[in-house]
Amino acid sequence: MKIDIQEHKGIKVFALSGEIDMSSSPVLRSELMGLVSRKVPVVFVDFKDVSYIDSSGIATFVEGLKAMMPYGGRLKLLGVPAKIMEIFNFSKLDKVFEIYGNVEDAFKG
Amino acid sequence: MSLPLANMPEICYPICMADDSLVTIPAGSLRAMERKVESFKTLVEISTIISSTLDLEELMSLVMEKAKGVMGAEACSILFYNRDLQKLEFEVAVCQEGDASNILKKKVLLDVGQGIAGWVAEHLEPLIIEDVKKDSRFFQGADKMTGFETRGLIAVPLIGRRGLIGVAEMVNPGRFDFDMEIFQLLCRQFAIAIENSLAHRESLQRERLRQELDIASALQRSFLPEFPTLSLGDLTVSAVNISAAKVGGDIYDFVTPVEGKLGVLIGDVSGKGVSAALYMAKASSDFRYISSRAESPAAVLDGLNTALSRYPRGMFLTAIYLIANSANGEVLISSAGHPPCIWITAEEVRVLSVASGPPLGIVPTGYEATPIALGRGERLILLTDGVFDARDRSGARLGFEQVVEFIRRHRGEEDIVPKLVDLVTDFSDGTERADDLTIVEVRRG
Repeated sequence: MKIDIQEHKGIKVFALSGEIDMSSSPVLRSELMGLVSRKVPVVFVDFKDVSYIDSSGIATFVEGLKAMMPYGGRLKLLGVPAKIMEIFNFSKLDKVFEIYGNVEDAFKG
Repeated sequence: MSLPLANMPEICYPICMADDSLVTIPAGSLRAMERKVESFKTLVEISTIISSTLDLEELMSLVMEKAKGVMGAEACSILFYNRDLQKLEFEVAVCQEGDASNILKKKVLLDVGQGIAGWVAEHLEPLIIEDVKKDSRFFQGADKMTGFETRGLIAVPLIGRRGLIGVAEMVNPGRFDFDMEIFQLLCRQFAIAIENSLAHRESLQRERLRQELDIASALQRSFLPEFPTLSLGDLTVSAVNISAAKVGGDIYDFVTPVEGKLGVLIGDVSGKGVSAALYMAKASSDFRYISSRAESPAAVLDGLNTALSRYPRGMFLTAIYLIANSANGEVLISSAGHPPCIWITAEEVRVLSVASGPPLGIVPTGYEATPIALGRGERLILLTDGVFDARDRSGARLGFEQVVEFIRRHRGEEDIVPKLVDLVTDFSDGTERADDLTIVEVRRG
């Protein structure tokens, strides 16, 4: 997995690529929780180039989301590929996360 | 008048050989031989120490103390090469100032190429520096932090069978005219001894972990029902659970919340290993407590959701909880992001679509219950994703639809559950099981 942290119109965007699994999620967690601990109000996560995510990867985003909720922060997932969207739908995680098609949609949402 | 030193006659000493013959040896050569003998003695002594212990800390302290004494050094240290960080870190520092050792061990990390030790690690060659002030490679940061003054040092790479282990340094040695060949030989032996004790330490840790996992595995099994089958009136529930690792994250349970009713839980914890097992243990005990006080499956999931939301690290549980009435076959089903159950009737096999909320332990929410009427001879199959996410050697997934299709082909047969297990085993033959597998069958006779 590769993490490219960009800034788009003042918002932190995690552009991820490759597989998010038990071996790579600790790095992702450290980056994400680093931002959350500073109470960053909005974080975008771009899934466009993610090929696979396991439950430990999902748990990383759940942890980020749960840590952001108390201060009103928003974690927005965008560009989720169809295969991964299936997992989100199947496990009803689409009811938990804000999911958008692309950066523009995420800005409007 | 004084003669130039070179022209002075050298003092010679007679030496008695083993065959009683006498030879004379110049004093300089004799001193060199004596030093060589001393060095060999040290080599033998250190070799004895090296073979006397497999304890890494003891080994390093003993060897470094001895080497420090022989070389008259004020301090000595070993920096280990951390392959993950690609940096050198102080593993042992023997000096009179105990504080300095602690500071070095806690705070000083060197890049490969940084400082004298970094240079030695990069070039895999020893360095002898009589005056560090004249050497631009010297890293002054360590002295600044500890207050120690380094004047000269000898640094040698420790190279084992698997490459660089680290760098040994003698700081402010009493002399620099020692036998480098012997010193390097000693360091090679030392490096192999370090490697051996590291391997020994790893094997002890593995054994300890294995024992811990055995205990954890036995404890975890104790949270599952004692018998994998339970009957209540016309209803029979049975389960198969196979863990991918010693401790798994799947959960199932059977309870009788009120007379005549059978409660069946199946769930899958996010993640694997010990953390998943602990979470499973908590979920299991919370479920037992909550299910004994609530008659509706939705209320049980609501209670579990609240109880699990305090758990750290974003862990969650997907689950289905159903309560079946043994008198009339009425079943109330609630789901929290869990794969749907499969309903086998005399006429068809269908994927049961029930109202489902998100997995437990993430967000506050209210779960719903969907009623169905389970007829006589009908069955419900509940499963975890370890069944349909099983992969073959090429990495292809079995797939939920394929599992449903398999059940359709075998729907008239009694032993569908063992057949499903065989399907997964055959499909993933030659691969390591990646996920836990649990199948629960609820049958109305």
